[in-house]
Amino acid sequence: VVAEDDQTRFRAVVLPHLADAYALARWLTGSATDAEDVVQEACLRAFRGIQGYAGGNARAWLLTITRHAAFTWLAKNRSSALVVVDDLEEAERKGISHGLQMEPSNTPEAALIAKADASLLQSAIAQLPVPFRETLVLRDVQGLDYREIAEVTKVPIGTVMSRLARARRRLMASVAGSEARA
Amino acid sequence: MTAAMDEDSRLLLHAYVDGELDPAHALEVERQLSADAGLAAERDRIEALRRLIQERLPRETAPPGLAARVEAAIGRAPPSQLGPSGKRLSSFGSSWRALAASFVTAAFLASGTTWLVLRPNLSEPSLSPAQEMADMVVASHIRSLMAPQPADVASSDRHTVKPWFNGKVIEAPRVVDLGNEGFPLVGGRIDVIGRVPVPALVYRHRQHVISLLAVPAGDVRGAVPERRAIAGYNILTWTQNGVVYWAVSDVAAADLEKFATAFRNAPA
Repeated sequence: VVAEDDQTRFRAVVLPHLADAYALARWLTGSATDAEDVVQEACLRAFRGIQGYAGGNARAWLLTITRHAAFTWLAKNRSSALVVVDDLEEAERKGISHGLQMEPSNTPEAALIAKADASLLQSAIAQLPVPFRETLVLRDVQGLDYREIAEVTKVPIGTVMSRLARARRRLMASVAGSEARA
Repeated sequence: MTAAMDEDSRLLLHAYVDGELDPAHALEVERQLSADAGLAAERDRIEALRRLIQERLPRETAPPGLAARVEAAIGRAPPSQLGPSGKRLSSFGSSWRALAASFVTAAFLASGTTWLVLRPNLSEPSLSPAQEMADMVVASHIRSLMAPQPADVASSDRHTVKPWFNGKVIEAPRVVDLGNEGFPLVGGRIDVIGRVPVPALVYRHRQHVISLLAVPAGDVRGAVPERRAIAGYNILTWTQNGVVYWAVSDVAAADLEKFATAFRNAPA
């Protein structure tokens, strides 16, 4: 009976958001195969923790678990990303100075951004430092609102706002052409 | 020019484009936008980037085998969690595919989301009154979606909808049709929120239903203007002429914001 309840809850809570979990894992790991492993691990954790799930935003809950599983994976497999993951605030500071350097003279026209190439955009997002990338993906790709992003990434809303702004500014410069780069 | 833009204005500008600002701050940003060409250019850049991402970036879809892999992984979960059941796993699999095929179906609402909404955070002892209210509003909205019709009086004519409320609630709500703004009026119904009958207007946006509850201010404590999301539904609250409005829908937060703006600005 307990098992039936757990599976029912798992079905209702976790499975509707599997595609979102996969997309986040894909952007964080940069690999389709690794994303599958991460999502599978996240789903196992979600299933084991389903009785502790207290209701509320199921998508944010699963994305939080997925993000954690992805970071565990990154720590094990990507030492270069690990620097960023281990010291978010350092990355944030670097981001600030970098972001300010790009301005004001290199801000491209909106029209230039609008006609940017999709593959250029994709690689520009992939090259963002992890804290900026996850914030941008959660907002602009997956459509979460600021509160949900703050919940998933475990930072205050003000940090979500500044990371999002900086991520977008970097993308604007990258996709609009090399003359816009700092 | 861009250099003159201070950091706060920039952050607020992003929040404005994202539909995250309350009406007062949104008005303030709009005022700055009309006065500052550099800020307006930045808004155009942000919107161009958002459109670029939404329209050109290839969507990541879960690979077809992923659901099966998850099922298999759950099947290997601690045996105490599972009964003696190859049978259960197969029924589990087929209903998962049914779920995947149609995300929002009455069956899913009945089995899953309703539970999420009707029993909010029991482990959290102190839900704020506004949070409780939001939960009840979402529950009402979901119940209406499960009914054969989301409205008890179905009409796009506000002169039909408004009189229908007479005698059913103390105060008939303000009824406007927002068809020209992309939110046609569908009808009205009465919801019972905390034992109080509350008039609810029903609007449609593309395939989505928007419920708009009009609660005379003072009847509900702590109903501060705010936006929330509960179980995938966006909720937007504002007060206008002594009435607290609760808009709830599964449309995007920005669209719900547009709806609220259209409703607020519509001539009575």
